[in-house]
Amino acid sequence: MNTKPAKRVKVAATKRTMVMPMPGCPGCQYPTVGRIIAELLEELNLDGKTIEVVGIGCNSGVAMLNIDAIQGSHGGAPDTATAIKRLSPDSFVYTVQGDGDCIAIGAGSFIGALTRGEMITIIMCNNANYGTTGGQMAPTTLMGQITTTSPEGRGAATGGYPVHVAELAATFKGVAYSARGALTSSADYQRTKKYIKAAFKKQIDRIGLGFVEVISACPANWHMSPVESLKWIREKMVPEFPLGEFKNVDHID
Amino acid sequence: MAKGEIVINEANCRGCGFCQEFCSLGCIVIPGNRFSPQGYLLPVFASPDRCNACGVCAWMCPHMAIEVYKYVESKGGS
Amino acid sequence: MIDRVLVQGNEAVGWGALNAGCDGFFGYPITPQNEITEFFAREMPQRGKVFVQSQSETGAIMMLFGGAAAGFRVMTSTSGPGWGLMQEGMSHMAAAELPCVIVLVQRGGPGQGSVRHAQMDYMCVTRTGGAGGYKNIVLAPASVQEIHDSMQLAFCLADKYCNPVVVLSDGVLGLIAETVEMKAIDFGPVPERVWTVKGRDRQKSGIRQFIHTYPSGAPPPGGYPDYVPWLEHMGQKYDKMAESEVRYETYQSEDADLLLVAYGYVSRVCKEAINMARAEGRRVGLIRPIALWPFPYKVLRDKVDRGCSFLVVEDSLGQMVEDVRVAVQGKAEVHFLGLLARHLPTQGGMILPNRVLDEIRRLL
Repeated sequence: MNTKPAKRVKVAATKRTMVMPMPGCPGCQYPTVGRIIAELLEELNLDGKTIEVVGIGCNSGVAMLNIDAIQGSHGGAPDTATAIKRLSPDSFVYTVQGDGDCIAIGAGSFIGALTRGEMITIIMCNNANYGTTGGQMAPTTLMGQITTTSPEGRGAATGGYPVHVAELAATFKGVAYSARGALTSSADYQRTKKYIKAAFKKQIDRIGLGFVEVISACPANWHMSPVESLKWIREKMVPEFPLGEFKNVDHID
Repeated sequence: MAKGEIVINEANCRGCGFCQEFCSLGCIVIPGNRFSPQGYLLPVFASPDRCNACGVCAWMCPHMAIEVYKYVESKGGS
Repeated sequence: MIDRVLVQGNEAVGWGALNAGCDGFFGYPITPQNEITEFFAREMPQRGKVFVQSQSETGAIMMLFGGAAAGFRVMTSTSGPGWGLMQEGMSHMAAAELPCVIVLVQRGGPGQGSVRHAQMDYMCVTRTGGAGGYKNIVLAPASVQEIHDSMQLAFCLADKYCNPVVVLSDGVLGLIAETVEMKAIDFGPVPERVWTVKGRDRQKSGIRQFIHTYPSGAPPPGGYPDYVPWLEHMGQKYDKMAESEVRYETYQSEDADLLLVAYGYVSRVCKEAINMARAEGRRVGLIRPIALWPFPYKVLRDKVDRGCSFLVVEDSLGQMVEDVRVAVQGKAEVHFLGLLARHLPTQGGMILPNRVLDEIRRLL
């Protein structure tokens, strides 16, 4: 009896959405966030009607997915997404922003979208510094963390304290979902993917705004190897920024 | 017999080491003596017989440098 | 049968926009244009169109960025202090070649200035305040009818050039009421948008669109290979706008020895003064720029050759007068009557026709 030889089948990331590498330093995890988004867009059959709004900074590399995308001002992504979704409600609209883009320069835009409960999804990548410009202090920089604008380490008197955006987002009535994930293991990857999927579903089902914060490694500006960066996330960032879901409602009355 | 196989795209690889870190079966090693044209330390698919096509290396690779293949048994004969 | 209705200037902005098929209004309250924001809050939802009160003017302009990128006719409205906040967004819209209409109802500046009328934003609207030296057409209506019609022209020009267009009103025009023929003007078919984001599978080409403002980072819309070729195209576009979109009105100017130059509500004060001066036998006329950018330099230069001198009347400390001086290139006298000639020292004072007449008598 002959058996045919086993077929070699490619386990592709996506069929049509991830077609080129997204830019990033070695071990940067923004492209991993982009990969998770790309996988979900295809699983949910959204990639053909998606409009992605990216911020300014390293996170904008996620615009290299094979979907319609737009980059406007630094911090203005929630405003841009608001108008696109209000004018074309059958499009699928989400933002990908860095921590500074979202909660420093973009804080007004972010809070405005949360207040109005816009039917969009906001994904904030948290790498505790301003990466593109060379590693300055960010709202999510840890106390004592050395950056180029906190050369003695972040101190309360001049730098204040880290901002917890996922917890903040959960306090807004118009927000139907808020969670924080990381990418330090394959289990983390799947959990973060679950969170982003849940946030996407709040838009699909027209329940309310979905927010996910993803802690991502920035080996270049943390001056560590990529693998050391993941250790630093587990040991230092996660205790400050706990993982999990902070809000998950099925309807907003 | 291995259930899967990976192909490393050396042009995309940036030597971050996540593939070696996350392969739970130890299929991937970074020997430290092979560099990409950009100067990144390249990994090697050193133990292909163990690969089960779980895909974790590709998930965790930020740089689209790993393609995963699985072997699907064909049934039947002539 | 076209309606003739008594309409407030600020509300005429709204009626003109609706007649132009405006799809979305995104704005923030500021005096003296709150009637505009409130008009759209009332009228858009009942027509199935979009109204959003943004959290700020920086919010409003980035909402316009998104709405225009998605292929819709969008607008906002503000006054001087809000205009400053929109500059970054306007630079981005000009760079991404996105159309929009921005109404600026002038109040006194700088800073909070005054909540009443003035003409103190000429410089910042014609010189463009955002980074990079882009250009925007500025229309300056002088009546409520003209506000209504300028709004429609503005949307047409914005689409024609894929560029922001400004309609410059003021606290007098905004709050007076005049009869308006509420006619939808036919400018011909709206040009098909060259680039929009609507979802990859909805693109005719099937190829995804990426709209952004950094041409060295990724291919920009329009497909220019890099920064300099992209800028070259922009320069050519602005040259074309400057060449083709000059608009002005003359009033009793053919035999005038003295030409008043004024825009907006001040031009009507000047017309009154001219009527009084003509009754005294003085040969005086008016050139009223209707587009402030591109400025009608050539019209003024031609008058210089006839030996005219100029009196710029502007409710400011002197802004448009600089463009008149550029036009005449030192070959004619340019006089200025401005805000300091108001009849009251308060924010409610105005340059009245008699004051302009006194100046005409002094110069002729």
